[in-house]
This record gives sequence, C-alpha cells and structure tokens, in this order.
Amino acid sequence: MSDTLERLMNCVELGKINKLSAFPPSLKGQDGADELSKLALDEGINPQVILNQALIPGMSKIGEKFSQGKAFVPEMLISAKAMTAAMKHLKPFFATGEIKRNGVFVIGTVFGDLHDIGKNIVAMTIEGAGWEVIDLGVDVKPEKFIETIEKYPNCVVGLSALLTTTMANMEVIVKEIKNKYPDKVILVGGAPLSQDYCNKIGASFYSRDPQGAVEYLKKVAA
Amino acid sequence: MTIEKFSFKYSELNIGRNALILAMGYSQESLPPMINEEIDEVLESGNELCNIEGGYRITDSVNWDKSIFSILLDNVAFDIHKVIFQQIKKSNSVAIFACTAGKKITDISKEIMKDGDLLKGYVYDLFGSIVVESAMDLIQDSLQKEMVALGLKITNRFSPGYCGWEVAEQKKLFSLLPEHFCGIELTDSCLMQPTKSVSGIIGIGESVKYNRYTCNICDAPNCLYRNLKYQ
Repeated sequence: MSDTLERLMNCVELGKINKLSAFPPSLKGQDGADELSKLALDEGINPQVILNQALIPGMSKIGEKFSQGKAFVPEMLISAKAMTAAMKHLKPFFATGEIKRNGVFVIGTVFGDLHDIGKNIVAMTIEGAGWEVIDLGVDVKPEKFIETIEKYPNCVVGLSALLTTTMANMEVIVKEIKNKYPDKVILVGGAPLSQDYCNKIGASFYSRDPQGAVEYLKKVAA
Repeated sequence: MTIEKFSFKYSELNIGRNALILAMGYSQESLPPMINEEIDEVLESGNELCNIEGGYRITDSVNWDKSIFSILLDNVAFDIHKVIFQQIKKSNSVAIFACTAGKKITDISKEIMKDGDLLKGYVYDLFGSIVVESAMDLIQDSLQKEMVALGLKITNRFSPGYCGWEVAEQKKLFSLLPEHFCGIELTDSCLMQPTKSVSGIIGIGESVKYNRYTCNICDAPNCLYRNLKYQ
C-alpha cells in the first residue's frame, strides 16, 4: 500500500480531519483526511482503491475498536467527520461510475419512535463501509420503507428502535416488507432488541453494534 | 391531591465536566482533547438550553398482588415485574414523579445533527440526559429530607422501561398526575415529549431501603447510566 493511502487510513481511524485540526495531538500540523485524499488522487491512485484500501479500512478499524469497548461514540463520530472530508474529493467519481458502492442501505427509526442517535451512528458506519445510505429519518411508517424499496429494489433495509413499545412496530414493518418482498434482507438494532426478538419477527439479522452490521453486510454483498 | 413542584436553573444542578466525560465512557485521562471543546461549549450555554421542571405526587392508596408482581396505586394496576416489586414491596406510600429538561435542548441537538455535526449533536443530547437525571436527583433528595423528618425512608427511583416494567405503562402513570404535568406529553407509543424527561415511582415507608448501587439488579445492558454512579 502506498504511503499516502496508509496515512489516509490512519487519519480516518484517528479522526484527523484536515491539517488545521488539532486532534489527534500526535498528528498536529500534519495533513489530514482532506489533504491526503486529494494528494492520493493527484498521485494518480484510482479512486476506488482510495475508498477500498484507505477509507473503508480506516472506518473498519475504529468500528472494531468500538465493538471491543476500546473506543467510544465520540471517536466514531470524529472518524466519520474525517471520512466525510475525504469523501468530498471522491464524490465526482461516484457520479461518473468510476467508484462502485457495495450496495444501497435504507435505514430508518420505526414509526412511533423519535430517537435517532443510534440510527445515525449505524448509518454513518455503513456509509463508511462503502454503501450508499438512504436515511429515512425517524418515525418512519411501513409505506415509506416500501416506497423506498420500490425505488431501490436491491437495497438492504435497516430498522432501529429504542423503546420496548416501538420495538413492536418493527414487527409490523418487517411483516409488511416481507409480504411484498419475501427475500428482502432486513437488519434490526436498538437497545431493547435481542437475537430472540429478531428471530421472532422474521428479520434477517440482529447486531448489537454497528460493526456487526458492517460484517454481515460484507457477506450480503459478496 | 398534593403535588410538590420544582423548577431549577441549570446552574443549581452543579453539573461538572466529569459527568459528561463518564457518560461518554471515558475517564479524565482518556478523553480525546477534541471533545473538551464541545463539552466546554455545552456547559457554558446550559442556562439558555434548559427549562427544568419536575415534581411528584404521593399516594397512600397502595395495594399489592404478589402473585403477579403487581402494584395498585389509586386502584390503577402496574405490572412492575419481580425486580422492582422486590425493591419496593415494603412501601406504605409511593411518590409518582416526572421531570423534564425542556424542549430546547432536544431541538438544538437535533438541529446540530441535521447540519452534519454529529459529534456536537451527540454531546448536546447527552447533556440533556444528564440535566434531567441531575434535576431528578435533587427532587429525590428533597423527598428524602421531607420523609426523614417524618421518620420514614425512601427507595431508589424506578421507571417504566427498566427491569421489565413496560414503557407502555407510562400512560397509566401519567393518569395519576395532573394533565400536562411539567409540560410533559406522551406520544401514542408512550414516548415522553420533551424527550429529555423522566418519570417513575419511589417507594416510601418505615422499612424500605435505598440501595446505592442497583445496576446489578437491572437487565438493561445498554443503559447510559449503567455502573456510572458507582465509578
């Protein structure tokens, strides 16, 4: 791997956004994800390689640390900021098709529930894993999911809920989606959920943290 | 119906940096420096962000159904499940409480996140949670002092959504409080609005006890406050 890609991967993992950002102190004054992604393109590195070999592994590393309890939510969010700074330079290549995403992931907090922090963290982690994320927001009704699936027929769906009461609405959404799209892959997550509940409502996969969802999606995309 | 109501200024809560740092999962030493700025900013603007109100109502109409771990308050039955039942069963009366940090903190947090600054939005959201819990601590302290003067003790506070007590029972809980109590409303899914609000019950009696550490009896592994006060 080129030195630029390696440094870019570290910047994403450690949350070094640009040269001006003081964080992390060990990289103070050095180029960040913003400058290094531009440099990588200037060096003629293929944009898909930048995404696959630097940005995705950088997010994956912080995601693994989070799963292991070695990093916390703020570090995930700082890494996402660095990733976004790098992605800004790659955006035109998505439009031209020079970079291909792993797939489309449609996510929303189920109807009745207005909590969005967990959902946002999962969305940004999955985006960082190379997926196009369609975030439907909070309080999302089954019809909205169905409508979006019609638009993106090959998408994977993610449902989030924070309360035991709204968790029950997940079952309604899963049922309605499966009625129309029996093979649709649906991931579920949220504080009150469990594997048992996932099995009970017929969802495809339950993950207790964002990285678990990323690992599962890798298998789906393969 | 006797209601005790409270309103606080944020400055009365004495929320320090440490509360936020611990709630994020860090220690003072392990906190990434970048987060310091966000913490400073939210702590400095606390007074403008919060509209803190809370209170409780005490009822002596308390009955029990041991066979199903249920408590009847003013003849309204609550399925509080075994864990809470065991903690509260010696109560002679019960305080039904609610408290809120107000709407503004949630609105601002959501606005910041919508603008793309997830980190700052997260810090503001967490701050709202800490404000409402800290305010409820003060209300609980006040209740305790009042009861001690009468020769009584109080239990910990217990809320729907924890230890098997269904969130849906929040509707019944609020039916025992005046309408629009502290400006809190429930959505159809029993979500409190403003979001940064808490509600629940506290047992009162001669032989009840307050446990300093209760995370070991609770089954919410993802709770923000799990083990926090013990650290």
